[in-house]
Amino acid sequence: MKYIFKIGGQAGAGIMSAGRLLILCFSRAGYNVLGYPEYPSLIRGGHNAVQVKVSEGEVRAPEPKHDMLIALNQDAITFHLPDLKEEGVVVYDEHLKCDKGYGVPFSKIAMEEGDVQMKNTVALGSALALVNYPFEIFENVLRDHFGGRKGEEVAERNIRAARRGYEYVKEKGWKHREIKPLSDKRKVIITGNQSIALGAIKAGMKFYAAYPMTPASSILHYLAKVERDFDIIVKQTEDEIAAINYALGASFAGVRSMVGTSGGGFSLMVETLGLAGLSETPLVVVVAQRVGPSTGMPTWTEQGDLRFVLHASQGEFPRAVLAPGDVKEAFLLSAEAHNIAEKYQMPVILLTDKFLSESVFSTEAFKEEVKLERGEVVRETAPQEGRWKRYAITESGISPRIFPGTPHGMHVATSYEHDESGFSSESFVMRVKQVDKRARKVEKLLEETPGPKVYGEGEIALITWGSTKLPSLEALEILKEKGKSAKVIHNTHIYPFNKKAFLEALGDATPIVVENNSTAQFAGYLREQCLIAPKAILRYDGRPFFAENIAEGVERIMKGEEIAVVKEQRDVEYYYPYRFR
Amino acid sequence: MSMEKGVSIGDFNVKEQTQWCPGCGDFAIVAALKGALAELGIKPHQTVIASGIGCSGKSPHYINTYGFEGLHGRALPLASGIKLANHKLTVIAMGGDGDGYGIGAGHFVHIMRRNYDITYIVHNNQIYGLTTGQASPTTQLNMKTKSTPYGVIELPFNPLSLAILGGATFVARAFAGDLPHTKEIIKAAIKHKGFALVDVLQPCVTFNKLNTYEYFRERCYKLEDHDKTDAKKALEKALEEVESGYKKLPIGIFYQVERETYEEKLPQLAKEALVEKKLETDISRALEKLM
Repeated sequence: MKYIFKIGGQAGAGIMSAGRLLILCFSRAGYNVLGYPEYPSLIRGGHNAVQVKVSEGEVRAPEPKHDMLIALNQDAITFHLPDLKEEGVVVYDEHLKCDKGYGVPFSKIAMEEGDVQMKNTVALGSALALVNYPFEIFENVLRDHFGGRKGEEVAERNIRAARRGYEYVKEKGWKHREIKPLSDKRKVIITGNQSIALGAIKAGMKFYAAYPMTPASSILHYLAKVERDFDIIVKQTEDEIAAINYALGASFAGVRSMVGTSGGGFSLMVETLGLAGLSETPLVVVVAQRVGPSTGMPTWTEQGDLRFVLHASQGEFPRAVLAPGDVKEAFLLSAEAHNIAEKYQMPVILLTDKFLSESVFSTEAFKEEVKLERGEVVRETAPQEGRWKRYAITESGISPRIFPGTPHGMHVATSYEHDESGFSSESFVMRVKQVDKRARKVEKLLEETPGPKVYGEGEIALITWGSTKLPSLEALEILKEKGKSAKVIHNTHIYPFNKKAFLEALGDATPIVVENNSTAQFAGYLREQCLIAPKAILRYDGRPFFAENIAEGVERIMKGEEIAVVKEQRDVEYYYPYRFR
Repeated sequence: MSMEKGVSIGDFNVKEQTQWCPGCGDFAIVAALKGALAELGIKPHQTVIASGIGCSGKSPHYINTYGFEGLHGRALPLASGIKLANHKLTVIAMGGDGDGYGIGAGHFVHIMRRNYDITYIVHNNQIYGLTTGQASPTTQLNMKTKSTPYGVIELPFNPLSLAILGGATFVARAFAGDLPHTKEIIKAAIKHKGFALVDVLQPCVTFNKLNTYEYFRERCYKLEDHDKTDAKKALEKALEEVESGYKKLPIGIFYQVERETYEEKLPQLAKEALVEKKLETDISRALEKLM
């Protein structure tokens, strides 16, 4: 059983929260669910849509076609009706024009129940009735959703409105397939950003600083909400430069710290990234990519910042770059990032993108043990001649840290090149010693850097990093049906890069990189690291890949294309919908 | 000099030689800070000095405490992070006029609203020294510098008036040519619970031929019989330099009021410092809430 809902309406009409409610209805009944939101960078006036994919099997990527369109405005019909499956159904607000499906007076019922804003709950009631889903589940979801936050009265009002939407459809006898609850086993529903936040908390992160920026803001929102539950400090600063310097200061003082931003904010943080590298101060930086450059298309997905984070800031210094491909990886790599940052005393960039960061996925609760490795920290020391040698030249490249407040540990961390005690130095000999010492940390880190994950086997290797893992795994199934044997080689540890393990995983399969950018950045990176010349399937219009895009891309490449770019055949625009009326 | 709690000024000495021009006002500021810390009985390991870049930024190297010489203009956010991570430490931020009032001005405005218990000492020499003499935000009108060969045509920044209006709870000015007074001001600033600005008039003997020791000696006078809890009177004094055509430069504590600090407003810091909290965290309840 697999069923795809699409909910569309005007920005501000509660489309996003409708998506969330619908997801809960199914995730609480044993289903796997994906909620993929699409919205423009404005609060009112544009178009919003959410796709909710419900399945007994794994759900990973959004789908090009839907089984049911829930339309709250005319644009939803204009934009999304063409993507309705032939046997699909539309349920729409009665006053809209639609040649197909069923009109239900969403707005009228909502108004009669006291608030036109509730038309989204009426619509969900009708949608659930069409698939003959038990109303009680929805009722409980509404009670939990509104009851706590907005009060019982609001919850009851919404339940009344929803029930009328539900009964309207039942009385008419309208039906469209059936979704039966599988069990009463509840799944966690979580976004990539929430997973990153919880991974960091699990790893003992105590300080988070950020300036709002889509699609990283929901890390800030979630952490701010749970700040007191977890006894941590979350600080919204005046800008991203302040955010990263706050975090760096907190880390210097001994606290696991993190910042989160998108490309534009990261641009402002870049100078301090180098300071973290030179002063060997641990730091985790989440970069949630969106369409760039500049303001770009702020609410859409892209993977255009790989080369940027690999090389950001002047000079040469050690860093690590990790890229999660799903929510579990987001959780685990976020925790691991804190261990790497402290153990190797370097900045660690956690690179995600809008699709993973903001989509909602159902998952089993994360039960994985997270080990806490703080690296070499000296808790007490004897008086010594001169200052504490914070940057002692060591074989591993790692010099023990000591936190302010520890007697006899006084030293200066500095943005200048420095001697072993942190004193600014322009000695030619010391410069080379310190550069080499820092470089040894990367070599050491590489020794424990895992290779890629391999899914399936075959002559075609779909090479992924970040969220393209998800549609690529689904593409394997399509390719299999078409009689093509393929595997996915998914890379999470981007820098340092375990090229030996990568080449072993690749074997003699044809390498095809799948990425959301226009210049095939990871393909170029593999060329540099492994001396191979992969082909590429690219999509850079702001949307994540559909599995079908990748399967088609493979066919195009097999026919001789070097780079297969995915292009939408039919355009829609959420930012300025009027253009397409 | 008092020796209470067994801390002496010698504890703050370092063996490294300072690298400032002979006669630079920075010597006096560092000496005053050492004296203030010693007299307050604050131990070197309990102190962190965060600085920016510039001649002033080198200060942490010459005082035996924990230090972080960060980036140009970023002393304040760096110090803020240190304070939030371990509010039991004495945290001093240091920077110059270009560093703090120019490139870092955005941070200056916002730190005052927050009122962390941090002392901010600005080495205000009214010139960019380390970059060899360009106009700074506090360079006087018409002054010729390397970057303004026809004279400065923009008004100088008035840090004290901004601080008084911006929410700082302690606003003072000192003159590096008067070390004992500078030390007393810095002592009062460190003792003050909340954000304390100490703007120190600090002659740059190499690149600023206008604002010399002599220039300040002729113009500086100590505030007496001044009600420092009165913001309006404080503002009046802060504007006196402008209104007198830079003939009169009051020094001393202009403004001081009590306000709850940011740290005090955080229930998370009621018991232990952030750095003292255990890392192991149970997230199972948070996950349940997402079901």
